[in-house]
Amino acid sequence: MTYKRKKYHCGDTHLKKRWRVRNRKKDLDEIDQDLKEENAEKLLNQKVDLDLPGAAQHYCLHCARYFIDEQALNDHFKTKVHKRRLKALELEPYTIEESERAAGHGSFKTATKRKIVSQNIEKSQTDEDGDAILEESPNKKKKIDDNDI
Amino acid sequence: MRIETCYFCSSRVYPGHGIQFVRNDCKIFRFCRSKCHAAFKKKKNPRKTKWTKAYRKTAGKELSIDPSFEFEKRRNVPLKYNRELWTKTIEAMKKVEEIRQRRSNNYIMQRLRQGREVEWQRDVREVQRDISLIKSPAAGLKQRQALEATEMEVEPETIEVVDAKGRKQIIEAPVMVPATGELIEEGGDIEL
Repeated sequence: MTYKRKKYHCGDTHLKKRWRVRNRKKDLDEIDQDLKEENAEKLLNQKVDLDLPGAAQHYCLHCARYFIDEQALNDHFKTKVHKRRLKALELEPYTIEESERAAGHGSFKTATKRKIVSQNIEKSQTDEDGDAILEESPNKKKKIDDNDI
Repeated sequence: MRIETCYFCSSRVYPGHGIQFVRNDCKIFRFCRSKCHAAFKKKKNPRKTKWTKAYRKTAGKELSIDPSFEFEKRRNVPLKYNRELWTKTIEAMKKVEEIRQRRSNNYIMQRLRQGREVEWQRDVREVQRDISLIKSPAAGLKQRQALEATEMEVEPETIEVVDAKGRKQIIEAPVMVPATGELIEEGGDIEL
């Protein structure tokens, strides 16, 4: 018996906990919305929120996760979890609208493949373009330091 | 009374049936039965689950693009009640449904026919490849021998040869037996 089949009912508390509504993470179609430029900008430049890890300054768009610092975020981009997520987002995620189209309400569109790149590459480009962003980030860090003191 | 569609399997959800889940961004996910709800909770992908409509349409098992699907659709446009329009719509719905059903059935039959063709081609190829298994090697041997014998009695070819002194000569080309490579003298009988 494969592990997968074995772990569906007996001793599946670790899975059940993950499926609980209070442990829900963002779904792929929500992240797909976040990837739109206007939403992405807001998420990448969030206000300092001390309740969140790293005061919400290091956010991974594709995994919808906060990291404590730049280093942790960059390390995360190299992990398998992140790469798997990029791969999953390549195909357009399944939505409620698609379920209706599949039911025969409107013509069905097959999902198209896109190219998904980690945000750090985009970020470095913006850094090169404008110095303003570079100046902003140390200020933010200072603010955090002040708050910590 | 509104008949909703199931998020997972795209089937109809009648009033009083199924369960719904409202995500924290106000999107409502409706499920026709616990099977679909459980699959959703386990984050199964409906496109990869073989028993859903989404799978059957992405895999090309069913008719997916057709103008007959454009009638029944959420339009979000308010319409003033009009009895005449209402009766006409009811009439049209029956006809549209009939056409849609015929087209989708036709699509499936066309798909299956293609499989039949591929099967037939595969059978032909198999027979051509493995004909030696059922055909005796001696079948048609005598005819083949007779054919070869007649081929051998072809007139010898002639070749134009220019001498060292520049004179032209026409020489009969020597007959060569391909298998042995030996030269056969003119007029010599060929024994096989």
